[in-house]
Amino acid sequence: MSKNETRRKLASLSFSEKIKILEKLRDRSLAIAASGLRRKTANNARKQKVKG
Amino acid sequence: MKAIFENINQMQTTGIIGKYAIGGAVGATFYLEPSATLDVDIFVTLPTKPGQVLVSLTPIYDYLLARGGTLEGEYIVLDGWPVQFLPPADSLDLEAVTEAIETDVEGVRTSVMSAEHLVAIALRTGRPKDHNRILQFIGQNAVDDDKLHSVLQRHNLISKWEQFERRYLGGAHE
Repeated sequence: MSKNETRRKLASLSFSEKIKILEKLRDRSLAIAASGLRRKTANNARKQKVKG
Repeated sequence: MKAIFENINQMQTTGIIGKYAIGGAVGATFYLEPSATLDVDIFVTLPTKPGQVLVSLTPIYDYLLARGGTLEGEYIVLDGWPVQFLPPADSLDLEAVTEAIETDVEGVRTSVMSAEHLVAIALRTGRPKDHNRILQFIGQNAVDDDKLHSVLQRHNLISKWEQFERRYLGGAHE
């Protein structure tokens, strides 16, 4: 399925279904923030940039 | 998030607030595909007494803190979500609240700003993420051009819109 089709499909969901997705996205963002994964990835990217 | 709207509806029933409308990213989600956001923007009218000039959010905070809400900066955290209550800053915000669309979240009544008001407010706010959201609305044909232009005209945003068109749409958007 193309990106546009996926977007259209997601946009056509009911507001209740979309809110559930928002909650999942938020939980995921918070979990990533709590794990420090984002910071590690950013640091690794910086290190690689310095090496390269 | 359902519990947030239940609490807000109760505040409306008890007369702590007047009309309200979901704005920002959560409001945009009504029309677009969901995109990650960390907070909920609620635009709310507040009852005022004769002669009262300043509006106060204290009754909202008092009500919600007594029901398990917690303060976090300018937000009150409800059901795990930081919620910001915003009294209308101008006639555009007020119209957006007054003309909000009734909907529901899992059977709980709520109201969301119209797509055209969300776009007009994003244009007025003008941060890169607001411009990106406007482009999403346009890309998904989620706005009525005539309605949008009449909102923009009423609130003196036409020249800002023309700048936006020149910058992002390569001229007039039809």
